[in-house]
This record gives sequence, C-alpha cells and structure tokens, in this order.
Amino acid sequence: MKDLGTSSMVTIILAVLALLGAEAALWLSYFYAPVQITAGALFVVLPTPGVNTLNLYESHRIFFIHLPSAYATALCCGLCLVGGVMHLLSRSEKWDALTVSASEVGLLAGAITLLTGSFWADYAWGTGRIGSGWNWEPRLTTMLILWLAFAALLALRGAMPNVQARMKLTAVYGILVAPLYPLVQKAIEIGQVSHPRSFSDLLSAPEIGTTKQVATLGLLLAFGAAVALRYSANRLSFQLQKERAA
Amino acid sequence: MSSSAPSAFVAFKTLLRRELLVELRTRSLLTSMGLFALLEVVVVGLGVRALPSDETFHRFVPAVLWVCVLFAAVVGVNRSALADREKGLHAAFLLLPFDPALIYLARLSSAFVFLSVVEVLLVLASVPLLRLQIPQEPWMLAVAALTNIGVLAPGVLLASATSSARGSEALLTILLLPVVVVVFLGAVGATDALAAGLGLAGAKPYLLLLCICGAMFPALGLLLYGRLHEA
Repeated sequence: MKDLGTSSMVTIILAVLALLGAEAALWLSYFYAPVQITAGALFVVLPTPGVNTLNLYESHRIFFIHLPSAYATALCCGLCLVGGVMHLLSRSEKWDALTVSASEVGLLAGAITLLTGSFWADYAWGTGRIGSGWNWEPRLTTMLILWLAFAALLALRGAMPNVQARMKLTAVYGILVAPLYPLVQKAIEIGQVSHPRSFSDLLSAPEIGTTKQVATLGLLLAFGAAVALRYSANRLSFQLQKERAA
Repeated sequence: MSSSAPSAFVAFKTLLRRELLVELRTRSLLTSMGLFALLEVVVVGLGVRALPSDETFHRFVPAVLWVCVLFAAVVGVNRSALADREKGLHAAFLLLPFDPALIYLARLSSAFVFLSVVEVLLVLASVPLLRLQIPQEPWMLAVAALTNIGVLAPGVLLASATSSARGSEALLTILLLPVVVVVFLGAVGATDALAAGLGLAGAKPYLLLLCICGAMFPALGLLLYGRLHEA
C-alpha cells in the first residue's frame, strides 16, 4: 500500500498546482486576453444589422476551457492504451486502475469539450437555440463517439462478474479505443468541416497565446489530479473487495 | 509444442472447416443474420418512404445498407460466441495444442464468409425494396471486403470476451459500435463516391481509411486474443 501513499501525495500536489493554474487561467481569460477582432477568421461572425445577436467577439474565451479539455481527452486515450498494454503484460491491478481512472476522467473531459463546443456553435453556426449548432460534421460526431467509447468501457465493468475477465476485457478495450483519437483526427481531413482546422488566427495576439498556454497547463494539471484521485480511489476499492472476499 | 502438434496451416484449416461445416448443418447463423438484416431493410424502407424525392431517398440507401450490415455482423459474432460458450467449446478450443491466434483467425474467416453471403442477399433484396442502384464499380468489392474485415475483427475479439457477461448482446453492441464507427464512415463515404461516379480518385481517402482499419484491427485481434483468454 506504500505506492497508494505516494499516489495521494501526487494527487495533493497536482490539485494545488491545478487550483493555482485554473485561477490564473480564469483571471487571464477575462482580464488579460483582449477582445478578438481578427477579420476573416472562421470563428468570427459579423453582426447582422437589425438582428439582435450576441457579441461573438467575446466568445473566444470559451476556447480556453474547450481546447485544454480536448487535449485532456486525447491524453486519457493515451493513458487507456498504456494501462491496457501494461496490464496484459504484467497482470497487475494497478494498470487496470489506471485504465479505469483515465476513462472516467476522459468521460468528464470529453463532456466538457462537447458542451463548451456546442454552446459556442449554437450561436456561431446555429440560431442560438440549444442544439441548432450541432451539424453532424466529422469532428463533432467522432468526438461524441469517443465519449461513448469511454462510457462503454465503464459500462462493461458492471456487466462482467468475474474480476480477472473484467480486467482483461478492460485492458483490451482500452487498447482498441486508443486508435480512435488519431483516426478521428485523420477522419476530419476527408469530410466537409465547419470546425476550425487551426486556431492560428485566434492565437495571433500574444496575450491570447499566453492565456491559452496557462489555461492548457492549469486544466491539464486539474485533469491529471482527477486521474490521480480516481486512481487512488479505484485501487482502494479493489483492496477492499479483496479483503472482503478473503 | 510437441512434434505431434499440427502445423499452423493445418490447424487453421481444421478449425475453419469445423466452423463452416457446423453452419452448413445448422444454418442458424445465416438464418438469424439474414432475417435480421432483411427486417431492418423492410423497417427502414417503410420509415423513409415519405421522403420528398427519389434523389434524397437514394442518398440514404448506402448508409442504410451499411447500418444493416453492421447490426447483422453484431448478431452473427454474438450468436456464434454464445453457442460455443453454452456448449463449453470455447474452453475446449483453448486447451488444443494450437496458438489461440489461429482460433481467432478461423472465427474471423468463417464470420467473413457468412457476412459476405448475407451482404449478397441484402443487396438482392434492396434492389426492389429500396430501389437500390448497384454501382458498376469493381472497387465496391474491395470496399465490402475491407468493411467486413474492419467490423468483424474487433467484433470476434470482443464477442469472445463478452459472451460470459450479463446481458452480453447489449454489452457487445455498446462496446463494438464506437470502435467500428470509423469503418462505417469509410464504407459510407467510399460507397457514396463510387455511386456518384467519382471513381477511385473520389473514393481514395475513404479506401485508405478502410485499409488502415482493415490492417490494424485484425493485427490487434491476433495479438490480443491469446492474452484475453489466458488462464
């Protein structure tokens, strides 16, 4: 149980850093990053005369949450792969706990990515009504599918009564889910997309670049802390089950 | 492995022959997969008959057919794994002096044959029912073959593991669909491009996607099947 103590320490350190990073990102995104007025950028919608539109020039601030959440989802995919491969090689339950923790946090990060993206798209691409921005374009749809894959991985845990079989299937599914992210990235290149392919226009202002970097670091630390926290909880839960069975 | 153990090819041939013979005698898989796919076509045909024009209707048909194929594949691999589990054959196979990857390969090959037969029947039924215009493109055969492999490779792997779970049919569907959605995207895109007369150039990105999935999923299956069923 010594490594569980180390894991708790890591969680506390990550949580403190994440709190500082998130606070700094929040302050920077509202008080430091300027209003984005880059003309011609894909995400800028020019106000229509006579139409009471929201000021979308301010809307780029949601990307300081959206982008790091998407990065965290990708990282969780990678952690599922590492956990799956290592569990099949070592049979150690700690790798199973890592795969499960990564999928739990991936589910959360994916949900934040989808929700923040949808809120923005409802006004930028749609009419402002909830759901009007959802246009089934490849990147939105494949992100939703990836989110469902994380949910499926967690669903299988409850359906497999045999602990060893459950761990092995979790590992195999973690490996099968991992290539989805690069395939998702590749898939958008062959379809019609309204999702911005690059944020270079958005990041042209140095203040926005700095804010994005701080937000990415802060939120990735927060998601890292969440993985570490869930990892400790999952391992403790497994220990408890073993002791009850003994 | 002892010197009396058969070669990998002989073992594969024996396992595949067994799968095909059992199906030839019982016809249970082909019947359930075929009927399921046909029912889907009928239900979808009824549902979309009110669409405004034939043009819109025809744009839907490739996607509808691939959805039918996808669910027929889920039914097939799940029934096959459940039947083996109920008879205790699954555990018995793993005791044979073969590499477990050969069992996986034989299952995948037989499932490929059954799904191809169902696809032919599905296309024949869709000509009158969905007014399907079959693209006169030899590349459609490659699209169908790669799609079948891309769907069945993870399907056979996951079905063998979920057959002991509670509610295995639902669990397999929930697990498999997110994994094979990229194959579905490739299949529909390639079929659309070929049906629109864009030829190989138009379908190339989708075919590339199908090739990646068609190589990656069986390779992962061969690597993981033994590990999944290790005692």
